[in-house]
Amino acid sequence: MNDTDADAESSAGGRSSADGGRARAGTAHPRGGSLSIEDVRRVAGDVVENTQKVIVGNRAAIEHIVVAMLGRGHVLLEDVPGVGKTMLARAIARSFECSFNRVQFTPDLLPADVTGVNVFNRKSREFEFRPGPVFANVVLGDEINRAPPKTQSALLEAMEEGQVTVDGETYRLAQPFTVIATQNDVEPSRTYELPMAEVDRFMKQLRLGYPDPAEEAAMLDRTVGTHPIESLEPVAGSETLERARTTVATVEVRAPVREYVTRLANDTRRRAELGVSPRGSLALLRAAQARAALDGRDYVVPDDVQREAESTLAHRVRPGAGTNATGRDVVRAALDSVRVE
Amino acid sequence: MSAPTVGRRSRGRTTRERVGGGSLRDPRRALALASAAVLTAAYVGVLYRITDVVGGTETLLALVAGTVVGAGLLARFLRPAVAFVLALALFVAGFAWYVLSVPNGLLLLNSFDSVLVDTAALLTGLSVLRITAAGTWALGFAPAPVFLSWYFAVRRRYVPAALVGGAALALFVLTGDAGVTLALLGAIGAFGAVGFGELERHGGRRAQGETLVVVLAAMVALPLVVSVVPGGAAGPLAPSGGGPATVEGSLLSADDRVPIQGSISLSPAVRFTVESDRGEYWRAGGYDRYTGGGWVRTGGSRPSPGLLREPPGNTTSLRQTFEAEASVNLLLGAWRPTSVSGAAAEGARLTELGGLQPAEALSAGDRYTVTSAVPNASPDALRGAGRAYPERIEERYLGLPESTPNRVERRTDRLTANAENPYDTARVIERWLEANKNYSLDVTRPGGNIADAFLFEMDRGYCTYYATTMVAMLRSQGVPARFVTGYTSGQQVAADRWVVRGLDSHAWVEVYFPGTGWVTFDPTPAGPRRAAERASVGDARGTNASSVDTGESADEPLTPTPVPGVDGSTGTETARGGQGDRAERLVEDTPAGANDTNGSAGVGPSTPREGAGNAAPGLDGGGGAGGEGGGPLGLPRPSREQVALGVVLLVGLTAGARRSGATGRAARAVWLRLPARGSPTEDTERAFARLEYLLSRRFRPRRPGETPREYLAVLDAGERARRVGTLHERARYGAGVSRAEADEAVALVDALVRERTPLLGRLRRSGGAGPDSI
Repeated sequence: MNDTDADAESSAGGRSSADGGRARAGTAHPRGGSLSIEDVRRVAGDVVENTQKVIVGNRAAIEHIVVAMLGRGHVLLEDVPGVGKTMLARAIARSFECSFNRVQFTPDLLPADVTGVNVFNRKSREFEFRPGPVFANVVLGDEINRAPPKTQSALLEAMEEGQVTVDGETYRLAQPFTVIATQNDVEPSRTYELPMAEVDRFMKQLRLGYPDPAEEAAMLDRTVGTHPIESLEPVAGSETLERARTTVATVEVRAPVREYVTRLANDTRRRAELGVSPRGSLALLRAAQARAALDGRDYVVPDDVQREAESTLAHRVRPGAGTNATGRDVVRAALDSVRVE
Repeated sequence: MSAPTVGRRSRGRTTRERVGGGSLRDPRRALALASAAVLTAAYVGVLYRITDVVGGTETLLALVAGTVVGAGLLARFLRPAVAFVLALALFVAGFAWYVLSVPNGLLLLNSFDSVLVDTAALLTGLSVLRITAAGTWALGFAPAPVFLSWYFAVRRRYVPAALVGGAALALFVLTGDAGVTLALLGAIGAFGAVGFGELERHGGRRAQGETLVVVLAAMVALPLVVSVVPGGAAGPLAPSGGGPATVEGSLLSADDRVPIQGSISLSPAVRFTVESDRGEYWRAGGYDRYTGGGWVRTGGSRPSPGLLREPPGNTTSLRQTFEAEASVNLLLGAWRPTSVSGAAAEGARLTELGGLQPAEALSAGDRYTVTSAVPNASPDALRGAGRAYPERIEERYLGLPESTPNRVERRTDRLTANAENPYDTARVIERWLEANKNYSLDVTRPGGNIADAFLFEMDRGYCTYYATTMVAMLRSQGVPARFVTGYTSGQQVAADRWVVRGLDSHAWVEVYFPGTGWVTFDPTPAGPRRAAERASVGDARGTNASSVDTGESADEPLTPTPVPGVDGSTGTETARGGQGDRAERLVEDTPAGANDTNGSAGVGPSTPREGAGNAAPGLDGGGGAGGEGGGPLGLPRPSREQVALGVVLLVGLTAGARRSGATGRAARAVWLRLPARGSPTEDTERAFARLEYLLSRRFRPRRPGETPREYLAVLDAGERARRVGTLHERARYGAGVSRAEADEAVALVDALVRERTPLLGRLRRSGGAGPDSI
């Protein structure tokens, strides 16, 4: 992009933040008021950089997760065990100074183990609510497909509603709230596959993949003593993330882009047995907004949509029964054939 | 289940929709019907020409219009078989009407042989105009083909429609009434009707329609090209007059019609020697029907009895012996032949107009003798002859084409205001023409009515023009007159011997006087004509051509030799059409020497080019390049035909250009350089569109899934292009751009376009600029 524009915006952003709030010592990020796009870009960049102190390589995946958090979405990581999914989630949570909980989903896990439970307090002779692991800013649901559907749906309700209901009592979850779930696809016989309707609730599905040898060596080198996650410092507060989300929601999406997204979704519906749902289109637009903000832009361009399309749409598409194509292929074909206008 | 039923039902519905007619908004339907109309116009055009000459154009047009409307209405519910029977009935009814209206028509029917002979004659080039009741024939003929072809056209069955129309047109092509132009027009109509009809039936696309237009244009244009190519067709349809035809060739063919041509030359070759006591006009044949563009002889001929009827009134007997010096297909004789004898005249036939026709062409050395009874009524007798014309004379010799402008009659009225009788009228007209028009062989043949054009627009012409005009003027005054061709008396080489050359061929006028019969008048000024003839003979001798002279004529001096008075009449106002004048005129220069420039044409009148013949003078060879020898497109005088041809070529080229995408490219080029202006956002978007077009021409078009940003990045477009891309992105997807930024984008693209413009841009590019130059 051109630098002059970025500079102009950054100086404007600086003014507005100076008027709107007081700078917090130790960080460059303003508190209170709204963040400018440039602030969002800087915060997101810092978080990515910070996370990379722990996670070697995989910058794209880190960005995708940051985009999902900025776009109020949740992430489904689908990969073999042991490639650093948990560490990635923890590092990002810590960079945002967010509370972090991890739930290992097992076949005997009950919904209450996720949401929390009412416990009888003998002293007060009252039931009191003991919040479950879902009450945190970032929740890592490990191997979510190993738990029975009822437990899965407890988490999915929390994702969708931002609240949980226990014994008729509704409790609001922490804000910001992001679920990063992982799926184990190595042992299909011992899993409950997530229904399409539930997969649809994740903004993005990502694959980390194995690090390349150089990255793996660097990772081993870094983690062999004390794990760097222990000493990782936050670069932004969770309230900054919340304000950044507000700003991202204001990123402009003009008609040509909306139409482009619609045409993409329609194209996948034409190509596959089950195409992208309207919820998918919405998720794509939100992700594109966040991506634009990451780029320091206050409007979405088709390039943003294209960068986000695969990770936000592929898992919502079920290609025809007889074809070898994956959802990813369908989305790629749509991207290639739908004209950008 | 009942698939066939469904099929039948749907077919039925389609048929009903189709018969419904309407839907002219479908351009293919409109074009197909327009083509059918062109085809109809082609053969109705022939009929129109016929009725124009003999009367009844309005009736014909009303009849055709009524038939078209009727066919359109009946097509909605009449089944094809019924329609066919109806058309047949129309044909039979038309034919019956014609037969009943012809004198002795019913008798004609009895003699089946003669009907067959007539039909064969028609199909082998007998012009419909030669039918005595041609107008009735045309009116009777028209309804059947018009009805049937329009019935089919309205029912969307264009192939039968084209077949019916084509058959009607083919008839006129065979009779020779449809010239090349009309035939081509009809062919294009038939082709277009079938072609567009097929496109309509099978849902053809615009591109296919354009291809069809290209083909149609090629049908018009290619025959021209053929004529330009050396060794191409001999008679191309080119908007130019005949080639170097001779007066003789144009006048004295064995044909029963005389087309009027443009520039013309004289053949100095000797044709006959005549032994006669007196020089006379050696008459070959007369023509009664004036078509506006030429002359046609109606009726047939019959074997000549040994002794022919003498004209009424006083006559002088004249015995002439003709010896052919070359192969000629003519029998000459002074008016009016009463008997003909000699081996060459064996089986001679007599036309209804009193002309002689040989059974077969004469060859050099053939001799025959004609005895004529030359009328010698005095002027006073002719003045007193009155106007009691027999009915058959009035019917035949007073007709003028309906399209003849009224001004011909008005002008003649004024000229002859003082003439009290037909003889004076004829004399006044004869003198006026002699005095007011210049003799020249070098003329541009006018389009339309020759008499009108010669009277009002031309200041020069040769005998054909003079004689045609005089006949038309006389007929406008109600004086029966006809057009006659033949030879002047020729060069006198002895007291009773005359040498007749090709250049002596001539056309003059005969006027009918009750009690006397036909009397000769000649409106062509004699002096200039003789001068032209003398020059021609002189030229021929100068080049030592052969057959310019006979042994006798070679030594004679090239000076006029006065001819002894032909008969006792006095002064110029003599009987027999101003004998005095003629006597003077008959004096031919006596050339000496020998040779032939025109060596060609052989003897016997070279057949005039029939190319775009007499049937449609309105459409044919008005260009009249004639002897000036320009190619079809060689002359900078656009005639109507050239304009029409130009339009056809233009339409064809336009369609072809559209097919090849040239118009699109041209429009692009203009759009690229002269962009419209609007709001800043629009301007920026247009600027980017132009940039994208430039890049697509330079590298490749943007792929469907490629964003503008990617596109510019992949092509490694230059700084300015990227700046335009950024501005475009803001304008289109972002908050918009300011006026200044929009202007910046436009200016950047303008600069890039200028650099890309051919010549300038090429220089720049060859200067080593890489892809970055954009």
